[in-house]
Amino acid sequence: MTRTQLLLRLLFKAAWVRKDRAFTALVSVAVVATIATAALTIYSNLEGNLSREFRGFGANVVVTKTSGALSPDELTNIHKIIGSAGEIVPVGYAIATETTSNAKIVVGGADIDTFRRLNSSWSFSNTGQGSALVGGRVDETIAHGADLHLSFGKTSAAVKPAGFFHSGSDDDSRIYLPLDDFQRLTGVHPNTALVRVEGKPQQIQNTIASLRAALPNAEVKPVRQITQAQTAVVGKTRSVVLASSAVVVILIMLCMVATFTGSVLERRKDFAVMKALGASNRTVNFLFASEAALLALAGSAAGYILGCGIAFWIGKANFDAAILPQPLLLFPVLLGSVALALIASTAPLRLLQQIQPAGILRGE
Amino acid sequence: MFLRLLFESFRRQKRRKSVALLAIALGMSIATAMIAVGNDIGDKINQELRSLGANLVVTPIEDTLDVNIGGVNLKPASEGAFINEQDLIKIKGIFWGHNIKGYAPFLSDRQKIQTRNGSVDAEMIGTYFAQPLRYGNEQFTTGVRSVNPWWKVEGAWPQDYGDFPEQLPPDVLAGNKLAQQAGLNLGDQIEIGGRKLRISGILNSGGDEDQAIVAPLHIAQDILHQPNAVRRVTVSALTKPEDAFARKDPDKMSPAVRDRWYCSPYANSIAYQIHEVLPNARVEQIRPVEQNQGKVLSRVTGLMLLLSVAALLAAALAVSAAMAATILERRQEVGLMKSLGAGNSAVASLFLTEAAFLALAGGLIGFLAGAVLAHRIGQSIFGSAIVVHPVVLAVVLFAAVLVTFLGSAGAVRKAMQFDPAVVLRGDA
Repeated sequence: MTRTQLLLRLLFKAAWVRKDRAFTALVSVAVVATIATAALTIYSNLEGNLSREFRGFGANVVVTKTSGALSPDELTNIHKIIGSAGEIVPVGYAIATETTSNAKIVVGGADIDTFRRLNSSWSFSNTGQGSALVGGRVDETIAHGADLHLSFGKTSAAVKPAGFFHSGSDDDSRIYLPLDDFQRLTGVHPNTALVRVEGKPQQIQNTIASLRAALPNAEVKPVRQITQAQTAVVGKTRSVVLASSAVVVILIMLCMVATFTGSVLERRKDFAVMKALGASNRTVNFLFASEAALLALAGSAAGYILGCGIAFWIGKANFDAAILPQPLLLFPVLLGSVALALIASTAPLRLLQQIQPAGILRGE
Repeated sequence: MFLRLLFESFRRQKRRKSVALLAIALGMSIATAMIAVGNDIGDKINQELRSLGANLVVTPIEDTLDVNIGGVNLKPASEGAFINEQDLIKIKGIFWGHNIKGYAPFLSDRQKIQTRNGSVDAEMIGTYFAQPLRYGNEQFTTGVRSVNPWWKVEGAWPQDYGDFPEQLPPDVLAGNKLAQQAGLNLGDQIEIGGRKLRISGILNSGGDEDQAIVAPLHIAQDILHQPNAVRRVTVSALTKPEDAFARKDPDKMSPAVRDRWYCSPYANSIAYQIHEVLPNARVEQIRPVEQNQGKVLSRVTGLMLLLSVAALLAAALAVSAAMAATILERRQEVGLMKSLGAGNSAVASLFLTEAAFLALAGGLIGFLAGAVLAHRIGQSIFGSAIVVHPVVLAVVLFAAVLVTFLGSAGAVRKAMQFDPAVVLRGDA
């Protein structure tokens, strides 16, 4: 039997004869690798996943032309900068008089479908037939569900409501008409664009900077309470996840090291027998270390797969979006686990080397 | 005899026991820290979400429509209805008064503003900045400084009340755009409606207020000749995310269900309670804020919950593995005891009692360490402590005993299945 064959046989037998011991070591490594993989995968995806939740707040940037209307070129420019994930609604405003009550009402013109999509948090109640979106207060004080007769000076029209909405803002005192109808009645073209920029806080800031550079004649204003809250919440959540994952991973690593060290110390007799049979310190170290490394490699590979599964499941369960495995994590997780196992299994050997094998075998 | 065996086992196997103790303590500090952080994260993030500002708005029912385009208000202050400023304090007296983090009243009108360069037309807004108020025995401060935390002021915030002698006119804020347009600087004097005012700060709100003068509420009421009048109040309240139950109509509920609805801090029930104390006011959710903050909050708390569950399972497995490892190494002891005539139950009870002692000690140490960790996380990230509820101690001790038993039980049974003679010969 060659030396390599003997070594392999020793390694294999060590694991096979004491299956339960090998198994507990394997479990402790796998647990570390699982938690580390799951926590790091979630952490690296968190900013994007959580930022998506701020989509429902509506427009986070408002572009207003300082004089005149927004030109088609400018609107195309905005489209280009915010990309396909964002949303843009050009809006024009005018004041009308409701002829039956003689009340002044602010009327906005916008693409009704995109406008509704942008303000998905408002509560809409549909009546069906008409084309206008009527604010809750307009309905309560003037319309009471009926048609509105609006006069814009030279032109006038009877407006049928398509639905009523409650927003909790000034918009509740307004009526929104489809942009074509609005332009036909008032001759006013949109000078404001409500924009929702998608992305992480830093990406949103960059997009705002690009919009400002591309639209020198317009004012580009972030809706500060939304961008600020997003930055605060996303940042703090990331920190909490990072801090608690770090705590968990470090503690569970210590736990694994304790288990490994404990089981090596319990094998004093193996160690003494090998020494008594003439093995050098180097050979014994090598044997124990390769056993630990193999166990760690198997345990961490299983842990990586399980960790990716857990991260995927948490993404599905919590964010309705899959958190995909990060192949880049595989190498650090494997390497880290093996390194830890090596340290945990070889450190106690130093202690044992100071004792005479005969002493250990006698049970001292 | 049993006690002696137990005592000697701890005395003679200090190293082995301390490894097991360390594993249990580490596992349980993970449990404590994660339970504490997961439990408190909702409150902490809810506080962060208050930077979205108010989530409820109160307006007079009888009021006419707002006519507001691009920050220009075309409705005269004399038109429409008002809320009485004196009544606002009642908002603090509702059932969920403690959840009201603050409110800010507003009264505004377009005014001619005399500056040293001439005159401009601009909006004048009256509000509370940081108004000290008292409700019963409770002293609190409220106003835009807490309700609209995104307002930035260069210079100084004005005082809400103060001694304003003739030579020292009341302080106000000038919106940054108005200041730029009208050439207003810090310390400049302006005059509105015959009243002299001093600009103490330049306001940058990112909203329509940037084109306005923002004054203490009572000064604005004075100038507009509308004593005690308030047009709109925004309220910032800590609320529970809305669900199907929250959207139900309280007037159609049975008394028991209605009580449950009334006693849940939904935005709807808080709005209902404010309407009860201010019957002439309409209370509405500021929907983008109220509807979405719940969603964000539930995502964050959900994430922490799932992470905690994963961490707890991992800690349980790690502790079980550590316990199993220490007991499996002791099969020779089991063999010796059995060959000396000990029954399975005697051996098992010795091992399990040892495990229970280790679990209780490890659980206690782990709880203390975990509490310190949670406290540290709270302080460093949120600037406020995460307090660990004493109930967690009971949970952690119970979990420690359960997990160590689970880890030990399998290993003890395994160790007992071997023939004592074989084990003692070292062949097993």
